[in-house]
Amino acid sequence: MSFLQATIRQCRHWALLLTQIGLFCLLSFACHWFATWTHSPIPGSVIGLAVLLFLLGFKLIPENAVQLGAAWLIGELLLFFIPPVISVIKYEALFEQYGTNILFTLVMGSVCVMFGTGFVVDRVFRFERQLNIKKQARRHAKAA
Amino acid sequence: MANSNVVDFVMSQTGLALFSLLLTVFCYFGAKRLYKYHRVWWLAPIVLAPIVITLLVFNLEIPLPTYFEYTHWLMAMLAPATIAFALPIYRERKLIRQYPLTIALGVLAGLFLGMISSWLLVKFVPLPVELSKSLLVRSVSTPFALEATSAFGGVPELTAMMVLITGVIGMLVCEPLFKFMRIRTSLGKGVALGASAHGAGAAKANEIGQQEGVIASLTMIFIGIAMVLGAPIFALIFI
Repeated sequence: MSFLQATIRQCRHWALLLTQIGLFCLLSFACHWFATWTHSPIPGSVIGLAVLLFLLGFKLIPENAVQLGAAWLIGELLLFFIPPVISVIKYEALFEQYGTNILFTLVMGSVCVMFGTGFVVDRVFRFERQLNIKKQARRHAKAA
Repeated sequence: MANSNVVDFVMSQTGLALFSLLLTVFCYFGAKRLYKYHRVWWLAPIVLAPIVITLLVFNLEIPLPTYFEYTHWLMAMLAPATIAFALPIYRERKLIRQYPLTIALGVLAGLFLGMISSWLLVKFVPLPVELSKSLLVRSVSTPFALEATSAFGGVPELTAMMVLITGVIGMLVCEPLFKFMRIRTSLGKGVALGASAHGAGAAKANEIGQQEGVIASLTMIFIGIAMVLGAPIFALIFI
């Protein structure tokens, strides 16, 4: 009996997931079409993101209506961009010749970005946390 | 007889195309499962899957157009995945409202440092033009990077590769770097990882802590959106 129940639950889960992914695809397709039709400089996918955020923000659709599909799409993001990576076979010679240069640039660039952003955010965060604490204290003082 | 039919089908174009799709999906989920039990960086799906698939496609001499016949549907899922990023933004609205200044400055710093560092580095390191242009968007999440790279004159395939390697590097250098720089706050770590290593950084941040993971994803999404929206303007500055 419990086996049957588990199977049914599993089926329900998959059906829900597939439906939600389908809805995401539909919205994406519609937004892409809209972007092409209006010659929008903003790509369809970003318009779609704004539309979904609007729908969620004004409670026009509940969060759990898209939760499963969104989690899956974001979780398996890597799978979707493996194909373009494979096509670098075409540029084999380029990588053979410039491999070290590429790696050097990428490592130095990454270290720069991480160093800079980490430094900035660490300072700003401490400042803003103090600000928030003070704000809260003032609110408490007023309440008392 | 039946056997030779099977062989014929597998060797035909449709067969090879189907095989490519199955190979890609299987390698990806296989690597994912392996990484779940053995947490070593070179078993991470972002490292193992592309290498194994590339080697197989290369050695089996599957022509690229055949490889793409069905796998381009996987790529098509990047657009719906971009839309799905609306959910984490909505969910973490409280955190965003609490630290608007930190997040905004982190996003701006990450966005511009990413472009400026590439722009300066290629002035000193000799690289072919198509590569140096593809490098500008390298620290942005893939769906956004692929969308933005054409504005800079980058090549989508090379961009995807640069984005991927950048992600792996970010995963590897973050821990010693944080220790060296004495970054201890969760927001500092999260934003730095999201800004420099996008999705891979967010995954790494999730291993460090939950708040780090959330903030890394948010940073990555905001930088991605800013990059796509600003690409035409940035192209005027950096090209």
